[in-house]
Amino acid sequence: MNNIINTRTAAATRKKRKYSKQNFLEFLCVVPALALILLTAYYPIADLFRISFTNWNMIKPTYEYVGLTNWKWLIDTWEINHVFDSFIVTLKYTIGHMAIILVLGLALALLFNRMTKGFAFMRSVVFLPHYVSMSTAALIFTVILNERYGIANAILEAIAGIRVNWLMDGSLALLMMIVIASWRAIGYDMLIYLSGMQGISRDYYEAAMLDGANGRQILFKITLPLLAPTTLFLGVTQFISSMKVYALADVLTAGGPYRATEVIVYLIYTMAFVDYRVDRAAVVAVCFFVFLLIATLLTMNVSDRKVNYDA
Amino acid sequence: MTVNNLNRDSRIARTKKRLLRFTQTVVAILVTLIFAFPLYWMLNTSLKSHEEMTSVIPSLIPAQGLHWENYVDALKTAPLLRYMLNTAYVTILQLVLQLSTGILAAYGFARGKFPCKTLLFTLVLGALMIPHQVTFIPMYILISKLDWVDTFAGLVLPTSVSAYMIFMLRQNFMSVDQSYLDAGRLDGLGILGTIRHVLVPMCRSSVATVAFVTVMDGWNNYFWPKILVKSDEIRPIALGLAMLKSAWDQSIQFQYYNVLMAAVLMSLIPVVILFALNQGNMLSGYSKAAMK
Repeated sequence: MNNIINTRTAAATRKKRKYSKQNFLEFLCVVPALALILLTAYYPIADLFRISFTNWNMIKPTYEYVGLTNWKWLIDTWEINHVFDSFIVTLKYTIGHMAIILVLGLALALLFNRMTKGFAFMRSVVFLPHYVSMSTAALIFTVILNERYGIANAILEAIAGIRVNWLMDGSLALLMMIVIASWRAIGYDMLIYLSGMQGISRDYYEAAMLDGANGRQILFKITLPLLAPTTLFLGVTQFISSMKVYALADVLTAGGPYRATEVIVYLIYTMAFVDYRVDRAAVVAVCFFVFLLIATLLTMNVSDRKVNYDA
Repeated sequence: MTVNNLNRDSRIARTKKRLLRFTQTVVAILVTLIFAFPLYWMLNTSLKSHEEMTSVIPSLIPAQGLHWENYVDALKTAPLLRYMLNTAYVTILQLVLQLSTGILAAYGFARGKFPCKTLLFTLVLGALMIPHQVTFIPMYILISKLDWVDTFAGLVLPTSVSAYMIFMLRQNFMSVDQSYLDAGRLDGLGILGTIRHVLVPMCRSSVATVAFVTVMDGWNNYFWPKILVKSDEIRPIALGLAMLKSAWDQSIQFQYYNVLMAAVLMSLIPVVILFALNQGNMLSGYSKAAMK
């Protein structure tokens, strides 16, 4: 009898000892961060789904649950509710922006890849716009692109003899958004590509030289393929961040002209805080969230399988 | 092939190489000038007179002398210093909160042993996929329930924790050899002591990098303040400048945009100082973040 009790207590203490007091303190370390993450990320996203099933318009204090009414609105009126258009605008902006910064980022990395003081200085000048915020960049370019007094039109007139209204023509305004955002981002991409290039082992180049490869072969057969993980990293992070563009559209064009630069976040903001249709804005936000989630998961899947170079 | 021929070939090759390097330098300088141009144009515009602003062909340097009074006018037109102090206050609050919660959590996840650790860490990573641009409506409702609309607390709360920072610091804390921690423990260091005297000093550059990213984000933050801020007392600089712009219609009152550019330039001074202080560390830090 005594024996049995003894083994039991021993087992119990052993089980208890699996986690010590130290371990409990370690757990306490993650509690504040977890609590804040639950409050600032998970609670709001859950609440967003809930709001999308109500008919709340922020002016009324009360609201009812109306099931899928808002979702029905989204689908039934897709031709006139601007959500789809706005999504296309955002995608155009994102794809244009990504193409420019990835290609030029890589090109400039190759161009500036010389380890002298002068080149280091020029690299940091090209990187400098990265520190200028999106809203500030928009302000600077408002002056440059002004139709009557801006330098852009003065140059264009001197060269081609025409003046254009940079920010009042729909597709041109979107293009200018891409240009401004790219001005800020190319230097960053260049820098990441440069460090990616430095991460490529010298052995590959030496082997290629021995085999008599020329400069172009080395570029296309070694440097570029081995930079695939870098491209993927830049692609994934910058795709997500350019889909979320807001400040640029707000400061530069306020979504105009005629909604030509009304990106998705701008639309959600307007629906919620200008039109007070919180319920419908929530539906659009949920769609946007699901889109971003799927895009992220897909690219993560690709990165696990396809890009697996030892660089 | 004679020796002469060989010599000539190598001479041609050398000339070709030199030409290539020369072209590279020229193109690089041109590209640099293009990238610097908008910043130069801001400086140039900020020093022009009102009259010169509306000349049809803008001059490359201020033609009517340097009008430094634009900077004084900028400070008189809007409470820019107040805006900058507001931004600094919010940024520092954010930094302190993110660093304290982030370093602790990174320690817990990197070095701790407790049930559901992987699950809880996945929860942290999942938060990376829930951007503020999606959750701002419920967040605004939460803040208004707390009665924090138009307050510093409301500005700081959504960015009081950074999953990105936890992720980055955890990576670094995991790479520190266990023997250092054991040595610290033998010397009687508790958890906080270990973090303060062993982990943070050893991961100095990563901590500096994530802190720098937080400061830049805080200084440039536009989206959330735009929703929450209504009064000058808490308005951050990015929002204040955009307000200044919308106060002056861009086709009719363009002559005031020199003052706007002066204001923008002043708002960049803290950024330039940070850049100068942190240049080397920053560039390598960014690359490290990408290489992980």
